[in-house]
Amino acid sequence: MTSNRTAARLTRILSMLPWVIANPGVSVDDVAERFGYSAKELTEDLNLVFICGLPGYGPGDLMEAYIDEDEVIVDMADYFSSSPRLTPAEALTLLASGMALLSAGLASEALERGVAKLQRALLPDGDDSLVVDLPNEPDLVPLLRGAVEAGQTVSIEYSGLASGVTTERIIEPWSVFSALGNWYVRGHCRLAEGERVFRVDRIREAGLNSELFTKPAGSPEPVIDYSPGVDDVHAVIRLAPEARWVAEYYPVDLVEDGPQGLTVRFSASAPLVAARLLVRLGPSAELVEGDEVATAAADLRARIMTRYVSSAD
Amino acid sequence: MKTVIQRILNLLAFLLTVGRPVSADEIRHTVAGYGQDSDETFRRMFERDKDLLRSLGVPLSMAATDHWEVEFGYVVPPESYRLDDPGLTDDELAALGLAAHAVRVGSAAPGPGALFKLGGAPAQVAGEPLAADLGAGAEAISSIFAAVQEHRLLTFDYRDKKRRIHPYGLVHRRGHWYVLGPERGATEVRAYRLDRATMVDVGSEPHTFERPKGFKVATALSDVPWDAGSDDLEATVVFDPEGAWWAERQLTSAAIIKPIGEDGSIEVTLPVANSDAFIGWLIGFDEHAEVTGPPELRAQMLARVRGAE
Repeated sequence: MTSNRTAARLTRILSMLPWVIANPGVSVDDVAERFGYSAKELTEDLNLVFICGLPGYGPGDLMEAYIDEDEVIVDMADYFSSSPRLTPAEALTLLASGMALLSAGLASEALERGVAKLQRALLPDGDDSLVVDLPNEPDLVPLLRGAVEAGQTVSIEYSGLASGVTTERIIEPWSVFSALGNWYVRGHCRLAEGERVFRVDRIREAGLNSELFTKPAGSPEPVIDYSPGVDDVHAVIRLAPEARWVAEYYPVDLVEDGPQGLTVRFSASAPLVAARLLVRLGPSAELVEGDEVATAAADLRARIMTRYVSSAD
Repeated sequence: MKTVIQRILNLLAFLLTVGRPVSADEIRHTVAGYGQDSDETFRRMFERDKDLLRSLGVPLSMAATDHWEVEFGYVVPPESYRLDDPGLTDDELAALGLAAHAVRVGSAAPGPGALFKLGGAPAQVAGEPLAADLGAGAEAISSIFAAVQEHRLLTFDYRDKKRRIHPYGLVHRRGHWYVLGPERGATEVRAYRLDRATMVDVGSEPHTFERPKGFKVATALSDVPWDAGSDDLEATVVFDPEGAWWAERQLTSAAIIKPIGEDGSIEVTLPVANSDAFIGWLIGFDEHAEVTGPPELRAQMLARVRGAE
């Protein structure tokens, strides 16, 4: 839709005018850099402003906006001497971004000052009514970040959460990031011969290698939201009311919402993932369909029981 | 697009200077850009313009045009239009611009609008585009943020129950957004995970409650899920080497960790307020964790694993 572009253009005009009014004598380059204008776009916007103003719309009613030599001039526009206030989405996004970096210990001193000023202006109850905590950075993050910057390969010992299997791999790390409460490293895995994303807190050991690699250009940004794959296992699970949250928390398809509870189709990358959930939910969940998951759940129960029984001897 | 922008600038200039509520009819006949069209065309055009103004953050509201409240018109009070300027310096603006690039709230990349309003961002530096993702769309969370900012009643469905709460604060922790506050008429503050709340509605009345002095949102939400509850247990768990490293990475300072044996096994003693959440966490260790005390927690774990509760 064009309305988004219209809104973006209006926001820029309504922000640029007050800044020029407050800083008389500014140059075209200053305004262009600060508000991301090309010289042509700036001229177009000033020409538009020039034909707007107050009813009457005569020479004394319209705003003045033009470029003189290299100077941007705005006059007769006192009613636009301040930007509109931030929308809740704008305020939240900016504050939360700054606070997230602060909590991760990645902030410059300028960011600390900026966030403090925003908090005073936007949070009536003081800085405490919005809290953003990134998960604590695992100890390996600095090493991995260094490897990304230097283009160095890394040997890792990795315990997959879904499989429980520990493997040794050499990876070519492309980026380190935090998403949905965890830290991840993404890159090419030589063992898997393809792109992989690893949870940093499941890397048990990591060592820098001297061997370098070249990151492929234009690789897409990682998506951490679970998306079903072809090798997924499926299970149909009936959830009692107290376990309905599972339907919100995991990617499921609704099968039936009836008097016996909510029935969902659950997909996972490995049977063990669904089995753990099933054991954990206890009597509030019932497996309706899914042989692989039933087997994995029985196996999981047996493994845990063995441990308890042997210790009781 | 040019004619829309022109019309909106004229409309906003008029509303900011007229100093009284004006009817749609007066706007139609006064502001350049309206007028020549049919009633129906004007009505639709004006509806779109109002939405556009509001999406920019313009506080467009209705007020009576006369003492008898016969007719209503539109107002934009200049004092609530104006940005409450925090007075950011250029290096602070640049740092915030960089943060907005590095952190993503929801899937859509944020536009530069917020930064422009605050004075633009000089010397934009390109940073790592995605260093952190806070999940959940900014639009969904921002209406709740507005309720927190303006002390509005918040209504939503949560676990099959309708809740009416006074939102004291908004927290992002462990990868999820939570809203904290007491139910209307109650005092106990509870935390609600926003991805489990549906039918969210923000009350139309601002300033409907007072937040108690000294209330701390940051400490009202615990760091580990088994801290939120009313159980009062001290649990002892043995982790074998396959589980020990993973447990140690997740435990807080409330846990006492003691190495046992030669093989790297550990025994952990920690307070548990929610035994159900704690058992859920332990099951993620498969056979590498064992509850050794207290007996009732061990029994609960065993019953859960047997599947006979």
